[in-house]
Amino acid sequence: MTSSPESDRAAAHQAAAPMAALSRRRFLKTALLGSAGLAVLAGGTFAVLRRSPVDGMAVPDTIRHLSHGEYHLFRRATEVLLPVAGTPLTPLSEVPVLAHIDAMMGLLPAHLRKDVSAGLALFDNAAVVSGWHGRRFVDLDDNAAVAYFDRWSRGHVIQRTLNAVIKQFVYVSYWRDPKTWPPVEFDGPVSDRWGIAYLGNAPLPDESALPQTVENRT
Amino acid sequence: MRAINIPRDGLPVTTARDMARDDSISGRFTLKTEVVVIGSGAGGSMVAWELARAGRQVLVVEAGPYHPSSAFTEHLGDTMTEIYREQAAQLNSTADVLFPEGACVGGSTVIGACVMQQPPDSVFRRWSEELGLKNLAPQVIKPLFDEVGREQYVHLNEAHEINTTAHKVIQGCERMGFSWKPVSRNVRQCALTGHCLAGCPSDRKMSALVTHLPWAVGHGARVMADTEVTRVLIRNGRAYGVEAVVRDPRTRQKVADLRIDAEVVVAAGGAIQTPLLLQRSEIPDASGQLGKNLAVQPFVQVLARFREELHGFRGALVGVEIDEFIETDGYMFFSALAEPEQLMIQGNQGAGPDHINFMKSYKHLAGLNAFAIDEGRGEVKWKGSHTDGRKVISWNPSRAEFEKLKHGASLASRVFFAAGAEEVYLPSFQRLSAPSVFDLDARLDEITYGVRGMYSLRINSFSSHGTCRMGVDRYHAVTNARGEVYDVKGLFVADASLLPEPMASAPHWTVQTLAKQVAQGIHARGQELFLKG
Repeated sequence: MTSSPESDRAAAHQAAAPMAALSRRRFLKTALLGSAGLAVLAGGTFAVLRRSPVDGMAVPDTIRHLSHGEYHLFRRATEVLLPVAGTPLTPLSEVPVLAHIDAMMGLLPAHLRKDVSAGLALFDNAAVVSGWHGRRFVDLDDNAAVAYFDRWSRGHVIQRTLNAVIKQFVYVSYWRDPKTWPPVEFDGPVSDRWGIAYLGNAPLPDESALPQTVENRT
Repeated sequence: MRAINIPRDGLPVTTARDMARDDSISGRFTLKTEVVVIGSGAGGSMVAWELARAGRQVLVVEAGPYHPSSAFTEHLGDTMTEIYREQAAQLNSTADVLFPEGACVGGSTVIGACVMQQPPDSVFRRWSEELGLKNLAPQVIKPLFDEVGREQYVHLNEAHEINTTAHKVIQGCERMGFSWKPVSRNVRQCALTGHCLAGCPSDRKMSALVTHLPWAVGHGARVMADTEVTRVLIRNGRAYGVEAVVRDPRTRQKVADLRIDAEVVVAAGGAIQTPLLLQRSEIPDASGQLGKNLAVQPFVQVLARFREELHGFRGALVGVEIDEFIETDGYMFFSALAEPEQLMIQGNQGAGPDHINFMKSYKHLAGLNAFAIDEGRGEVKWKGSHTDGRKVISWNPSRAEFEKLKHGASLASRVFFAAGAEEVYLPSFQRLSAPSVFDLDARLDEITYGVRGMYSLRINSFSSHGTCRMGVDRYHAVTNARGEVYDVKGLFVADASLLPEPMASAPHWTVQTLAKQVAQGIHARGQELFLKG
């Protein structure tokens, strides 16, 4: 994968674009942060349920921008959203999806990064009460996690936004990697491979019908 | 007779790096020219060529970088990073409508799909007879269209340029009784790579990079990249130049402040950037219409899965159009299927097995983009000072526009079902698909308007226009019929901002034609506008 910081930045902006709308619209932002607080409170109320085995799991040293919680949220989201095992699609072990997400996240502007962080916390914790799962998103089994995504994709604006942001981070990070293209038979760049001749600039059109030039007039 | 030397390939462009290396250039410098053209896309490049070949001294300034064709990788992600405005994340104020736009030397002509469409004569008759714009009467404007078409190999797609996605659209249209035709494109010997949106590395696309800009340079025009005009200088109702900032495209660090003294200023940055520039420049705006009347030609993409393998992403990106509804309902439909990364951005995806099944069927997919004429109620506004303000693009669909787009999605879906689709994916922020035409209406009913149509239909826009509309009444329009801004002599607009009303036609050809007319009008008024006549 030939990924540059600039390329990562572009992908990050696109993936986080829906969140940018929330950030700019105060009433939604208030609702988002309020909901996040509520979810955390609710999670606190069910503190025993809210604990997760992932809390004790390590984060690779190479991860620089994702928090512990965010890393495990995206790790779980990647497993749930991209169940490629047993399919012809490129295995997750060959595509550094989480590294791409980490790089993209590190390139978000600070204010947007903060809101994305709050949104991710909401998405994870709200599973305790939303749908009465009684546990965080990271602890849902595959079917319940997919159902959680599906429900949020049909929910209110904040839910649809967070559903879109998480999916776009995961899917863009996977599908922009050329290693993922052969199984779906997308050809990628072809001009060099096909030996397509370079034509250069187009020839000047017939200018005999030009409007009279300054030089000709004077 | 003058010898005209057209570069074999590439362009002599002065970039921020050149200026940073030049010891004779300090942090602030001034240039003089007869004509400064702001923007190097469809309109700006045409004006530059027309006036340069008429013997005028022309300087083209482009805010974006110079990205020669040899640097194109056919990797859309790379291209979006390098030469799309805001790295392809230019959005409306609610961030649910995407406005992709080129931000490089050549502008959007570099990243466009080569679609060239002429509005029907009825549109020009209305603009001429009802709006009083006699310069747009069919008998006046159509010969200019023809001239522009001849300049850049505009032709109807031939059989080999119509790919499998397009053939599915043809099949559907034939069964539905809808009129269709091959798309007109400005391309020579298309290599059928399908990578139009990532730039054409073999220079077959007739973008400004390989046509009007090198031709203008052959006639002596100069081109500067990385140079963002911050405002037009106006004194006593006369434009006399521009102020600009040169920035390193990588670091965004300022390299220099620049002032360009010019006798004629032509704004050609497109329907979003030009009104912002004129607002920053605080031009008199007696009409109050500057930045208003934004028409976006919103479109939604319908995807369909067929039993057979299509590889619909191969071949010319846009093959055919459905022209059944242009004059009656203002719909345009173009066949096209995006590459995987773009699909992830453009459409909402299911979760888990649903997404895997969708992508496993990628080679079975076909795509049809449904464009609808909108009401032109949007607005582009610059907020803050001219140096550190920000733009706001306000456009969300009205309920009527929303229903129109939804009906467009319905028509596109029916075309695909008529062609034998096994499933149609609907353009919604929810994950919605219909397994048969009998389920279609019920699924479409699930897409509701909600709050201002936000995050409901998945809408994009390639074709903003109308934000500096031309007209014969200075209290109703921003520019006169010659494209000159009312009350500012010597300041012209030559881009899609000029269009007087929302239009159901891809605007590229119209913009070039209007720009040619504006340039020829400037040339005809040489005695009045230029010191040397």
